[in-house]
Amino acid sequence: MTAERPDDALLSAWLDGEVEGSDNTRIQAWLQENPEDAARVRLWAADRDALRARFSPTLDEPVPERLTQAVWRRSTRFDRGSWLHAAAAAVLLAVGVLIGALWRGGAGHEPVSAAVPGWTHRAAVAHAVYAPEERHPVEVNVREGDEARQRDQETHLSRWLTRRLSVPVKLFDLRAEGFELVGGRLLPDANGPSAQLMYQDAMGQRVTVYLRKADREASAAFRFERQGDLSMFYWVEGLCGYALVGPQPRERLLALAEAIARQDQGPARPPGR
Amino acid sequence: MQADDVFRQQLLGVIPRLRRYARSLVFDNPAADDLVQTALERALAHWHQFDQRRDLLVWVLSIAHNAHLDQRRRDARLSVVDPERASADQDAQGGDPGVDVGLRIDLVHALARLSPEQREPLLLVSVEQLTYAECADVLRIPVGTVMSRVSRARASLRQFLDGSERSTLGGSRGLRRVI
Repeated sequence: MTAERPDDALLSAWLDGEVEGSDNTRIQAWLQENPEDAARVRLWAADRDALRARFSPTLDEPVPERLTQAVWRRSTRFDRGSWLHAAAAAVLLAVGVLIGALWRGGAGHEPVSAAVPGWTHRAAVAHAVYAPEERHPVEVNVREGDEARQRDQETHLSRWLTRRLSVPVKLFDLRAEGFELVGGRLLPDANGPSAQLMYQDAMGQRVTVYLRKADREASAAFRFERQGDLSMFYWVEGLCGYALVGPQPRERLLALAEAIARQDQGPARPPGR
Repeated sequence: MQADDVFRQQLLGVIPRLRRYARSLVFDNPAADDLVQTALERALAHWHQFDQRRDLLVWVLSIAHNAHLDQRRRDARLSVVDPERASADQDAQGGDPGVDVGLRIDLVHALARLSPEQREPLLLVSVEQLTYAECADVLRIPVGTVMSRVSRARASLRQFLDGSERSTLGGSRGLRRVI
């Protein structure tokens, strides 16, 4: 059985670990049987190592000051501010007061955070307000009663929020990520209603998903914010803005956010068998 | 709306690798840092376009690639400084002591002789250790093109090095300028 000679491009790709499965085995066998080709591949590897040795010392150099300065340079005179301080202030006021009024009555500063859109700020506040609640974390609780009652509640929650927000509100299934749906509530956004879904893991740690109708249809990149204990991924897809808020590490939250974004593509259905 | 602290911290983290890539592309150290600074500034200006699901380094490398492309188009010729002088800079700063100085100068000469189309994917794959898919992302070319360019770059580099090794084996200590 005469094997066909792998061409240079394939041998090169093999050296880079880009060849898998049976092709990989085939090439290894070929190289064992063909010392000239093996010697060439070894030379390529040596050249590659020489390139790495030549340039890698750069990694250990201290970063020049001007590059660090370039990263921290800001073009506005406003500091980004702490939106969690603002969240704490909002907790003191009764729900239902428009967020806008808070800042007008404040110390005369500009509204918090020119960098973060207003609605994501509201998402963070809503998490800070409701996640610690023991007895009334949500308005519609989908965990009470027997299975039939729970399914009824889920259907009701999804339909109610969809009707009020005028965007489809799916009850995302995050059980694969270890989170169960607790329930949801309606909230006041700047000019209309928004929704908050709350999820909880086996240890009682909670994340919330804030939803609101977007100003215009978009397909926007995931953005990430962190302040103190809370982190948030937010994005807009279609006509809906999503903000996932929680105390979890970034990677954990990213997995949840991706799960939500994936499910958004499918038809609306409540979780359950 | 401007970039937040988290994003800026992420950017700080990729600076060393950005500098290494720029150094291998441009050779002249101050010019390399100029390229890095441009890439960082553009990244900050476009931070809202960065999807957090992506790899930040790959994204910034593609910005650096475009910035370097712009630079090359602006210049009448390649902005590659005399590799001998650049190597002398590197020697003064202290590179890897284990590598033969003669080979290092030949290596940089040989690298400089590659076209940018070959040099860029070779460096991204060999030194920055990107996958072919990531490299394709940075350079906006198909994966198959990455594969063939890396392969040809390797062969060319080897050829150039064979050529200069033969000349030093001949006994002459002087480097022959090949351009």
